[in-house]
Amino acid sequence: MPKHIVRLIILIVAGIAAGWAAKSYFTAESFYEYGHYRAASVPEIAAQEPAYQTPRYCQACHGERHAQWSASNHKTVICETCHGAAQGHPQKAKLSIPADTRKLCTLCHEAMPGRPRTQPQVVLAQHSGGQQCIVCHNPHAPKIAGVPVKVAGDAAAGATKHAASCAGCHGAKGISPNDTWPNLAGQHGAYLARILAAYKSGDQKDVAMTPLAQALSDADIQNLAVFYAGLSCNGTATKPPAGDVAAGKALAEKNCATCHGQTGIASNPAWPILAGQKGGYLVNVLKAFRGGLRKDPMMAGVVRGLSDADIANLAAYYAGQRCEPTMQVGRTP
Amino acid sequence: MKKTNPALAARRAFLRRLGRAATYAGAALGVGSLGGVQKVAAKNESTSGTGSFPTKDYDWTKRRWAFGVDATKCIGCLRCVEACKRENNVPGDAHHFRTWVERYVYLEGEDKARIDSHHDPVNIAASGSEREYRFANRYKDAKVEKAFFVPKLCNQCTHPACVQVCPTGATYKTVDGVVLIDEKYCIGCQYCVQACPYGARFFNARKGVTEKCYWCYHRITKGLQPACVEVCPVGARIFGDLNDKQSPISLFIRNNRVHVLRPETGNAPNVFYVGLDKDVV
Repeated sequence: MPKHIVRLIILIVAGIAAGWAAKSYFTAESFYEYGHYRAASVPEIAAQEPAYQTPRYCQACHGERHAQWSASNHKTVICETCHGAAQGHPQKAKLSIPADTRKLCTLCHEAMPGRPRTQPQVVLAQHSGGQQCIVCHNPHAPKIAGVPVKVAGDAAAGATKHAASCAGCHGAKGISPNDTWPNLAGQHGAYLARILAAYKSGDQKDVAMTPLAQALSDADIQNLAVFYAGLSCNGTATKPPAGDVAAGKALAEKNCATCHGQTGIASNPAWPILAGQKGGYLVNVLKAFRGGLRKDPMMAGVVRGLSDADIANLAAYYAGQRCEPTMQVGRTP
Repeated sequence: MKKTNPALAARRAFLRRLGRAATYAGAALGVGSLGGVQKVAAKNESTSGTGSFPTKDYDWTKRRWAFGVDATKCIGCLRCVEACKRENNVPGDAHHFRTWVERYVYLEGEDKARIDSHHDPVNIAASGSEREYRFANRYKDAKVEKAFFVPKLCNQCTHPACVQVCPTGATYKTVDGVVLIDEKYCIGCQYCVQACPYGARFFNARKGVTEKCYWCYHRITKGLQPACVEVCPVGARIFGDLNDKQSPISLFIRNNRVHVLRPETGNAPNVFYVGLDKDVV
């Protein structure tokens, strides 16, 4: 074989060998293992830590809130949709409690062309009167249980029952003799019926009220509600308890007025009239809501942030309001 | 034990590979390609024999992931966009995103839909920042004939054009049906960004690599749902395993008449839609 051909062959073979060596050197170990890519990159990607932890993670510590949420119609909105990803919480990071609920809630609930009709939507300007959504709606159970029950009964029968069972504590005319028991005269009938039914069923508990309410028939409850609603609340105003009335008024306008009215006259008969109610009773009830002894999803949300002083101020304000103009007002919103 | 100089070790490894290569070259010259074939066979055996891949708790041969979107349920709250950004550390501005929601609005007397998404200037102005996402209520006083929202994301196509054009093997289709990006091998040439018919990819200039939705591969391999599916308040996004006949996605496809976007491109997408309209592509 001619010398130059041999040299050419040696050169070509050396070139092939060098090329092969370079390819083996530069190609990653796992390349071609499953295809034309680096197989090791798959576990690398799969090893990233998830940021969103799912509600089960939250449930471990926030069990009560989780139970309330998972029974509500907000159960499809997971904790982290509003509070942000829980990665690093609680060890490293606190999660935010959304401050501006008018901004947050309207992301889903602002009336907007394109949203399906099944989605609850509001025109903000006509809905809240400038208040934050959480003033009335508990975000963990947003549906307001304010549908008034129709009350139809016999006031005379109610009066008889009242004299036999209730007058001892709540007073002959529905005006209680002390500061701890509530006045009933002139209260919304639908509210009274709802609360008596709650005592009867055990949804609401009280040492004195529970056995008394259990002894009532459904008709008794209706009769009593009609009877008390028809009584005059004149003379309910007693000396208002200690508290800063002006501060209570400011707080009431912000937190309570939408449902319970500016002066404590609730517009919806399912919600109680607070004007002229006993101050000590109001304090006790607000504290019971705050401590979870009395359960109401909306009230739980509203009272969560109240201090003892706030509660005293609110009680002082509402106890000092006159209940007269409220009489016989039974309009629905 | 004696400490090894890393440079020396690398050199030794190189020499070892060089030697191996020389051997193969010789073998190839001597007995054809037999040696090479044996080597490939041995490699395949060793990986499939050692258990599940890619992680020890997850075997990608057992799954066939697919995604569903019920556009009739979407309310355009954009929680999915926000969750995706946080979950995957996507650049915080409004113009880089792995998933997005389009709003189609037909006004009375107009033939064509008006289409906008969260990065429309009007919507950025409504949210107040590029880091928050909100649809402006810009059509509330207009005479709207018809309007709806359509969530979009990577379709993880069965025949992905993006994978075909990648020059380095940095993007690929996994056995369980997701198209991934190997950030270490991506050279940032952006051929894939141009090849994708759905606009699902974007270039992350900070990292110098292309990015896109991968159905939260790090979550689905741990038994979780993708973040957007998790946070969707109305169940407009459905995810699951087609191998499981009772999974949400299997039921969704079986019980609905589903469509895919741009079937004519031949990419065979794996995001199935209910409630698309004539102008949605």
